[in-house]
Amino acid sequence: MNDQKPLLDIRNLSTQFHTQDGIVKAVDGVSYNVKRGETIALVGESGCGKTVSALSILRLIPDPPGKIASGEIIFDGQDLLKLPIEAMTDIRGDKISMIFQEPLTSLDPVLTIGRQITEALERHRDMNGKEAEEEAIRLLKIVGIPQPDRRIKDYPHQFSGGMRQRAMIALAISCEPQLILADEPTTVVDVTIQAQLLELIRNITKDLNTALILITHNLGIVARYAHRVYVMYAGHIIEHGSSTDIYHHACHPYTQGLLGSVPRLDEPRKMRLKPIEGQPPDLIAPPKGCAFAPRCDRAMEACYKGRPPMVEITPDHYTACILASPEKKKTK
Amino acid sequence: MTVAEESVRPHHTLWGDAWIRLRRNKLAITGGVIIILIALMTIIYPFFSRYDFASQDLDAILQGPSAEHWMGTDELGRDVFTRLVYGAQTSLSVGIFTQIIVLAIGLPIGAFAGATGGMTDNIIMRFVDVVYAFPDLLLIILLRAILGGSIYMIFFAIGLVSWVNIARLVRGQILSLKQRDFVTAARVFGGSSGYITTRHLLPNSLGPVIVAVTFNIPRAIFAEAALAYIGIGVKPPTPSWGAMIRDGNNVIFAAPHLVLFPAIAIGILMLSFTFLGDGLRDALDPRLRR
Repeated sequence: MNDQKPLLDIRNLSTQFHTQDGIVKAVDGVSYNVKRGETIALVGESGCGKTVSALSILRLIPDPPGKIASGEIIFDGQDLLKLPIEAMTDIRGDKISMIFQEPLTSLDPVLTIGRQITEALERHRDMNGKEAEEEAIRLLKIVGIPQPDRRIKDYPHQFSGGMRQRAMIALAISCEPQLILADEPTTVVDVTIQAQLLELIRNITKDLNTALILITHNLGIVARYAHRVYVMYAGHIIEHGSSTDIYHHACHPYTQGLLGSVPRLDEPRKMRLKPIEGQPPDLIAPPKGCAFAPRCDRAMEACYKGRPPMVEITPDHYTACILASPEKKKTK
Repeated sequence: MTVAEESVRPHHTLWGDAWIRLRRNKLAITGGVIIILIALMTIIYPFFSRYDFASQDLDAILQGPSAEHWMGTDELGRDVFTRLVYGAQTSLSVGIFTQIIVLAIGLPIGAFAGATGGMTDNIIMRFVDVVYAFPDLLLIILLRAILGGSIYMIFFAIGLVSWVNIARLVRGQILSLKQRDFVTAARVFGGSSGYITTRHLLPNSLGPVIVAVTFNIPRAIFAEAALAYIGIGVKPPTPSWGAMIRDGNNVIFAAPHLVLFPAIAIGILMLSFTFLGDGLRDALDPRLRR
């Protein structure tokens, strides 16, 4: 599994927003890849560029003000950024689909649930109305909606939040995509539903051998569901590795900080949660050196001088921190 | 299992929901019922009427209301009630057909501008602003002079000046709807922009459009009456409430009923549409949904 070519390979992607105050570098030179059937997680605080990097894959950055400034997004052998827009709309929903954060607002309020699913099926899989409806019922059954044959005639406001997200998942898998982007899929539902939904997403991706990019700020989710984790901060990836690497051997002070601010059941109870002090930097004028340096309690002079390079710590575990670089270790 | 099946709520479509809310609004229903009654009367009355709207009876001019002539007769001895009913026909058809013209022009232009955005939107909306800034009545008089006095031309003239409101409304709706997640979702699932406009954006903006149309109808009716009053409406002898008031004006002290009845009729019809529009706005506004 490890030596196959990645399904999606993002290289050096930069997405910018042109605002009155200047250019916001929401995503700045980010590279990551996903293999077929693999689940990766993009983790980071709000505003660190997770969602923008996902929307960039689908080329859905609102333009203006947004713009993909540079980079390559190689999906299944072709660069999505070079495709004509018609070819891109064919890929959207068919080969790559997305689950949104807000199930309350991401379904059209004036169309029935069934209609929204059959729409995608008719668009991409050349089904006629009858076939599409049967398929929609089957999909709703898969995602665990009771009496799907009745519920497809319902409107989104007649579904609860959790059910809407299930319907959204049904919609996302309707054309058996090779890649699903899940943007904080469980943030707005309560914890019990969260676990059910994630379990559901995991089972489906396993059955269909679908790759999944899980965008979240919750490191607790990551450990359980993702094979590999990319930690983002201020538009950069600052550490990535297997979820075991990240969870148990985090190297970057920011990753450690994130872990320190999440309650853990496997630690003694008297452990106190440690928040990360300060605010993420302004992306219009990011600091010259390491973006995290101003909030880092182990920052030193060198941190402010230049961006630390990505260094390999163990195979497939990389971090962009001076503390982890080999010369530093030697001088210590 | 049976318990679960029984507990399933009945299906309401969105329009069904709106209808249930509208039904609770007594004033709106009263308005709607009055409009329907007036419309029915204009259809049925001609079959039973003893009078023709144009036939004159110079032996019985300027009579007050009586059993013979329910609302009296005018200065040419024509039955006022009959003319009032035929005038309702004129008013209602003006109300409805101008709105068809308004929708046919305003909806596509507004939707196109809103959905396309950018420079195209800018150019279209500046043109709309120009039409909007032009005084309505002046433009209608101008068009009326060019197009002539048939009732269809009146529809056309009023329609041509009132479509800008709908175009602006639809554009605004679409601009705000475009920011909604479900539109992004539709794009994620491969919808082209034309498809998203017709399938998602337009249906979602329909509620406010229906409300605006309901409010536009009395405005169009009033515009027609005003045109007729200043003498550039439908050609006589076609009855129009505005023309009836103007004719009655000359003899207002001798026969006040000639002004009174058509004025009341205009008032009732306009109020009815306004109440209905109010009710529709409440029923269709998702924010007021309980």
